[in-house]
Amino acid sequence: MNQTVANPSIAADAPQSPQGRASALTRLLLSNEFGLAVLLLLTFLIFANTLQGFSSTFSLFTIGRQIGINTMIGLAMMAVIVTGGLDLSVGAIGACTAMFFGYLAQALGLPLVFAIPLAIVFGAGLGFINGITVVKSGVHSFIITLASMSIFFGLMIFLTKAQSFNQLPAEVPSFGKWKIGGLVSPLLVISMLMCVVLSLFYRFTTLGRSMLAAGANPKAAELSGIRTGHVITACHVLTGGLAALAGLMLTARTGAAIPSMAGQLGQDWLLPAFLAPVLGGTLLAGGRVSVVGTFLGAAFVQTMTSGLLLMRIGEFWILACLGVMLLLAVLTDKARQSLLRSKGMV
Amino acid sequence: MAIGVFTRAFDNDWIGPGIVSLAAVVGISILQPSFLSPFNIFVLLSAISVNVVIALGQLVIIAIGQMNLALGAIGGLVAICFVGIIELYGVPPVPALLIGLAIGILTGMVSGYTIARTGITAFIITLAGLQIFKGINLGITEAQPFYAVPQSVKDFGNLSMIGPVPWLIVPMVLASVGMWYLLNHLRIGRYILAIGNNPHAAELSGINQRATTTWAHAISGLLAAVAGIMLVAKLQIGQPTIGDDWLISSFAAPVIGGAVLSGGHVSVAGTFFGVVIIAIITQALVLFNIDPYIVQVVLGGLILWAVGINRWRELRVARLQEQGR
Repeated sequence: MNQTVANPSIAADAPQSPQGRASALTRLLLSNEFGLAVLLLLTFLIFANTLQGFSSTFSLFTIGRQIGINTMIGLAMMAVIVTGGLDLSVGAIGACTAMFFGYLAQALGLPLVFAIPLAIVFGAGLGFINGITVVKSGVHSFIITLASMSIFFGLMIFLTKAQSFNQLPAEVPSFGKWKIGGLVSPLLVISMLMCVVLSLFYRFTTLGRSMLAAGANPKAAELSGIRTGHVITACHVLTGGLAALAGLMLTARTGAAIPSMAGQLGQDWLLPAFLAPVLGGTLLAGGRVSVVGTFLGAAFVQTMTSGLLLMRIGEFWILACLGVMLLLAVLTDKARQSLLRSKGMV
Repeated sequence: MAIGVFTRAFDNDWIGPGIVSLAAVVGISILQPSFLSPFNIFVLLSAISVNVVIALGQLVIIAIGQMNLALGAIGGLVAICFVGIIELYGVPPVPALLIGLAIGILTGMVSGYTIARTGITAFIITLAGLQIFKGINLGITEAQPFYAVPQSVKDFGNLSMIGPVPWLIVPMVLASVGMWYLLNHLRIGRYILAIGNNPHAAELSGINQRATTTWAHAISGLLAAVAGIMLVAKLQIGQPTIGDDWLISSFAAPVIGGAVLSGGHVSVAGTFFGVVIIAIITQALVLFNIDPYIVQVVLGGLILWAVGINRWRELRVARLQEQGR
């Protein structure tokens, strides 16, 4: 006797399944990642065909390298946006870590095998300070990280006397110049690997899922036994570690650890840090991340920037263009959400 | 009774920062008598005047429960536009001033309207605004300053009115009194505080959120413009970098002055003393030959300290309310 045919729920489900598949397809087509991928491809093809020198090996190498660094910066911010928080101090953490690394590798002469992990732990430690302060004080992370950005950066400048470390071991700059297969920067590879790791982390580990749950609905998460305080601290530690990695990658690119490499107080990182995740569809309110979207976002921004630079728009006007892009990204996101809602797909 | 205690504590936001400022002045002048020299007082008052206007520009946005990251970018854009139209088109100072202020109001209104219309968080909109306004600023100037600041403007920024009191104090006093009056006696001010306190309740009681948010940002833009032009007068040059370092201090002063960051509760007098404390500490570091870079660390520490105190007061008030019931 087969009971399944008589099962009313399955019978009710059966006629809906083609429609369900269609809406899954529509959902994919309307998803941030798909839209971004198409946009990225189009921009790339247009630039490659109209701009001379855009698709030269060297140009592709530098674009890829910069995508690698900006993806890492974006991932660092994404890790804390997950819980609806933010971290203004990513740039300061990146610069501090780079200088700490410079101190270890140049002044102390520590081998890179020790200096690099120590520097990343240092960055994660700064993130831990942020996290524990946010959780213990109950004050929004905006104001805490505004203060810590000032403190971290100020202490770093005070301790280093604003001098850069430019006698790093030769492996560091040559790593930044290394072209795998004559084209791909290892920095891009590192970021792509990190994307894979983080995707698995958010999908399959308890901690990653707890982070998403705490971001989507902190009260419900707390009631279902997640210690939101610990989870939020963990998010800030992750942000610190990723920002540290981004700082090290930037050090490899420039070949020296420079205090001003992220601008005054590390403010220059704020735009790439928010642009990539927001373009990629990470919700600022928390609870939803898109690791792939962050990567595509960073790739799109860098392709646009390089293209506009080749068009001789002038680097200053590009700043304004990036600001407009951020605005358009959030507006499109808003429009897409209301479209999805009106069709009952959310 | 208990409620009375807490309202009084709330009314007197400025007492704490006021006492600290006074103690700092007395303490430093005993250790370093040159602190009270007329020249030093003049320098101190000039710096305080500009920074109070900047802090008030952020205060009005904190009052409505938002934040304005673009404050410095608006100030910088207005500063270079003000000198730019004088240098390039020979516009006299007064019309140039009016055009500058209009640009400030307009840019503020655009940010405010975008926030109100879309409902996207002010953080992201003003971050985009920061980038756009800064980009336009650098695009116009190509990072080179404008030099043609008229003598009258230079005088305004560097001469004293009476004794050690600079002319720059005039816009500061006007802005402070104006902001106090606006928040305490004008309908728009009450609307701003009501939205900051509880947006839903404000909406239900018929307050037009869109218009109020737009106007709050317009006021913020106006104050940023005033501060930008004051800095042009003080520095005697149209620097494209004006406004780059306003972010931290614009939040520090209101927070030290007891502003609640979620909105609805701010103090103009407290903010004034917040600026005074920051200015005195900055000066003291110079007078005692301490590395000026440490100012950043002290500023960050001050924010954390003030946030801690505000939080403690909030918790205490909540406890008192509990007991009152």
